[in-house]
Amino acid sequence: MTRLQALAAGTILAGAAMTAGSASAATICFAFQDLETEFWVAGHGAITKTLKDAGHTVIERNANEDANRQLEQVRDCIAQGVDGIILIPQDGESATTIVAEAQDADTPIAVFNRPPSDLSKGIVVVADNATIAGQAVDSIVEKAIAAKPEGKLNAIIVVGDLGDPNAVGRKNGFYAAINKHADRFDVTEVASQWDAATALANLEAAVTANPKVDLLFTSSDFLFPTIRSVFEPRGLWKKTGEEGHVWMAGLDGDATACQLVKDGFVDATGVQDLYFEAEKSLEAILAAIDAGEAQPNEVIEDPGFALTTDNLGTREKDMWGCVLLSQGFLKNKS
Amino acid sequence: MSELPPAGITPRPDIRAPAARPAGADLGQRVRALLLSDYFVLYLSLAYFLALVPFLPTLSTPGNIVNLMSNMWPLLVVAVGQTFVLTIAGIDLSQGAVMGLTSVVVAMLIATAAPATVLANAPIWGSLLTEQGGLLAGIPFASAVGIAAMLAVAALVGLFNGLAVARLSMPPFMVTLVTMIAVAAFAIWLTQSNNIRELPESFISLGKGDIVSVYLGPKLESQLPRREVYSFITWPMVIALAAAVFAHILLNRTVFGRWVFAVGINRKAAEISGVPVARVIVTVFVISAVCAAIASILYTARLETGRPTLGGGNFLLDVIGATVIGGTSLFGGKGKVIWTFFGVLFFVLLSNTLNLLNLSAFHIDMVKGGVILMAALLDVVRTRLMRSAT
Repeated sequence: MTRLQALAAGTILAGAAMTAGSASAATICFAFQDLETEFWVAGHGAITKTLKDAGHTVIERNANEDANRQLEQVRDCIAQGVDGIILIPQDGESATTIVAEAQDADTPIAVFNRPPSDLSKGIVVVADNATIAGQAVDSIVEKAIAAKPEGKLNAIIVVGDLGDPNAVGRKNGFYAAINKHADRFDVTEVASQWDAATALANLEAAVTANPKVDLLFTSSDFLFPTIRSVFEPRGLWKKTGEEGHVWMAGLDGDATACQLVKDGFVDATGVQDLYFEAEKSLEAILAAIDAGEAQPNEVIEDPGFALTTDNLGTREKDMWGCVLLSQGFLKNKS
Repeated sequence: MSELPPAGITPRPDIRAPAARPAGADLGQRVRALLLSDYFVLYLSLAYFLALVPFLPTLSTPGNIVNLMSNMWPLLVVAVGQTFVLTIAGIDLSQGAVMGLTSVVVAMLIATAAPATVLANAPIWGSLLTEQGGLLAGIPFASAVGIAAMLAVAALVGLFNGLAVARLSMPPFMVTLVTMIAVAAFAIWLTQSNNIRELPESFISLGKGDIVSVYLGPKLESQLPRREVYSFITWPMVIALAAAVFAHILLNRTVFGRWVFAVGINRKAAEISGVPVARVIVTVFVISAVCAAIASILYTARLETGRPTLGGGNFLLDVIGATVIGGTSLFGGKGKVIWTFFGVLFFVLLSNTLNLLNLSAFHIDMVKGGVILMAALLDVVRTRLMRSAT
């Protein structure tokens, strides 16, 4: 287990462990698409540690970003006779196929954070991405307009992989906030496909074409280091209050974003409550196993919130990335 | 062409144990015969399976064997195509990209609906694909026409590869590398990297439809437990085996097959002997691409989604690995579809057991890489043994 996983696991809510322990010892297949970002690593650590601590057997399957491989891995799990499956899918489409596969084999399945395109099947624990993104973008839109009351503002949205419903929700949330002042903003969309190299190339192209940037929203916090590498050489990486500051917001609530909000480079980030989502996934799948329910269908929504420079003092402890940061995560990482 | 040897091209030595030889020499002969046997990889697979069953009881359960078979069929079809290319001493790196492109092609034609929120920015939106689905949505035989379009697109890519290699004398590695990059990028551009769902049931059944299912337990209740009803004969199995049998006949029972071996052994000599080398090379690359498209049908249908990234990642490792493990030589002139069948069986079995051992994806790929290296070394050993026997 990596230090990060240990840290993440160590910080899981005690209640989750208590809940997980309520079911008789079960064998759970935990199939995840990859461990590329802080969010997934922390989520992976929280789920595996909690299940193991509660006496359950965890069979881990890493699909390495291959949807077909993940389908084959889930079939392997079903053949092994697991009691339930927790899935972090590659995308919404493959999630729908895999949920149907599990339910056809009478195996309860819960989808963690990245929802299937068909929400009616399986236990789906998902953040309200549109609302959370809207809250984060609202806060920077107001500040950007206050700082520049006249004229057009140039905004950039770094879009995720739109095959992922989370990315679609975040994009919708961004536009819901921007469209309240549609006459004030020119928007450039930068595709990332949830890939740092793709985001780097496309953002460089966008900023080269139009070097004047007033506001940026990234659909995931894990891209902030990439954004910095593009902005810094162009004089766009400034703290709040400094000349040329770009109003920036993200979404996830990871440790890097927390540090950047504290430092004043980033103004807001939408926070998914990782621990709430992990707890609810485990609670629901173990309850279904205990009840002998083979095809549980339920949508559990994480309301989330936006951490901004204004509420940092009061809500910092509610953000999972800030909790990791306070435990020295970024120091350990470096 | 009748003087050319049949299947496998290299004449197999008539191995007999001489009388009154020491036991060590006799054992050596047997090992040599085993290594040179057509069924070597099958024996290896069986030995591997039997050795692991006591430690991994799940391995021999009906559910797991059904999974093994299910994972084997699409890979077999792609590997059969690669067998042709390797036999002419070439390589086709573009098979995965062809799978991605043809997956998008069929989905954008036959999808019954598509969400504007996801696909509105795609260049095909509004012309080939709308919220009401693809161009062929709702028409009779839409799936058949879509599949024909997949095969035609694949054949075009194969034709390009073949012409570049045969007519321009470009190295297959470079040609197919470029095709791989360009075709994969084109597939991603078509949908802006988004997947297309809502495929018709008639198409999906090709990837996961059962023809015969079996239940092995006692019938205690009126309703059988679905988890224990196993697919026995499936559409992917029928399609893959049909493709493999056709390819086997083509490669080992026709004049064209002999030309393929002749080109692989020595292109110049084949030319002098009157073999239409350019035509053979072009046809082989078309076969390879069409096989990739057939596999794409199976993968797209089982995932119920047209995916531009299908065949990406380490997929090519699996294809070339399975083919080489089977015994098809990377140096050309030596290959059989039955070898590829056994190679795919071993490769899928290996992946399955590594999964059951709960190894991480990274360790699994490292082990696979090691096994492919061993297979390549074995190929060298077998080639030397054959030469020394002639």
